[in-house]
Amino acid sequence: MNELHNNPAQEIWQSQPVEGIKMSAAAIRQRAGKFESRIQWRNIREYVGSSIAAVLFAYFFAKTHDPLFRIAYALFIAGLGWVVFQLHRKGSSRSMPAAMGTSTCLQFFRAELERQRDVVKNVWPWYLAPLVPGFAVLTVGYVRSLPYPAGLAGAAWLDGIVAVLFFLIWKMNRRAARCLQRLIDELYAAENPQ
Amino acid sequence: MSTIETIPAAAPTQDELYQEAARTYSAPLERLARAYESDPEIRRDLLQDIHVALWRSFAGFDGRCSVRTWIYRVAHNVGASHVMRQRRTRSQALVGLEDEELENLPDSASGQQAADRSHALDRLLILIQRLKPLDRHVILSYLEGLDAASIGEITGLSPGNVATKIHRIKTVLARQFQQGGLDHE
Repeated sequence: MNELHNNPAQEIWQSQPVEGIKMSAAAIRQRAGKFESRIQWRNIREYVGSSIAAVLFAYFFAKTHDPLFRIAYALFIAGLGWVVFQLHRKGSSRSMPAAMGTSTCLQFFRAELERQRDVVKNVWPWYLAPLVPGFAVLTVGYVRSLPYPAGLAGAAWLDGIVAVLFFLIWKMNRRAARCLQRLIDELYAAENPQ
Repeated sequence: MSTIETIPAAAPTQDELYQEAARTYSAPLERLARAYESDPEIRRDLLQDIHVALWRSFAGFDGRCSVRTWIYRVAHNVGASHVMRQRRTRSQALVGLEDEELENLPDSASGQQAADRSHALDRLLILIQRLKPLDRHVILSYLEGLDAASIGEITGLSPGNVATKIHRIKTVLARQFQQGGLDHE
């Protein structure tokens, strides 16, 4: 390493006091195990929210005798299961990527940003659409079970709120994807300047 | 400081590579962790994560780059991941080296205090911690005394880009520290 201090800031930086923390191989292995369990717990926390909603739908499923409502709740549970599976597959919280040493900082940082962008770029197929069948059947169930026009009005309100919510989620994610894309473009430009 | 630039004839084990890297680069890794995290408790965790990542990475070390380049890449990549995670909880926006905002960092120290080394170091850390990850990699590598070619190999930036960024770093550092009396003591 170059020990010359061409700039006073380099001297200040390199001569700052350090604690000299070192870890033995045994301590490293123990820490690696802890790191994995930390990641697992983080994933579990992410799934708990979905599980609570699934349990709630399971409870409604058990309580209702209307077959249409039962189908709706079953579709919701299946949809939530698909969302959780996709969350896991897309790796919202991952363990340490293997290519940390082989990738340059630019490649590594860009790959991480691209992964995040792909998760938020199109939330329809994996996050919103799986819940649509449940809402559709629930709407039909409400319209059928309540007297006209109360059932229709109630269903319209419910669907309206859900539609606005879905639109906002989609919009926010699109904006996040655009921000990430700007950062990715900056990194491509830094790697290959014109 | 001794370096471990080449792999010995009898290929060392993952543990041996790690132990040598940790022994040689203990101080730079600690300084690097300080640049990525200001909270001492979280910083200790980050430093341990860097060591774990380093140990793990040596299982796949194939000697295609120097051990030093490998160590800095792993450490910076762990640091960048940490910054990306922290960005979700911390509202302060990060800036690039070319950003005008970098010229107007808050100066909490008086002229006399600024001459003090610890205040100068604090000020340097404030500056570094405001930078986007890639610019942070460059300034840290520069402060560690690495040459432009090494910085390019670690970061993946083109030589021209590294030169531009180093020039900008020198300008920013000169503006930030000259008034504090730290220019070429």
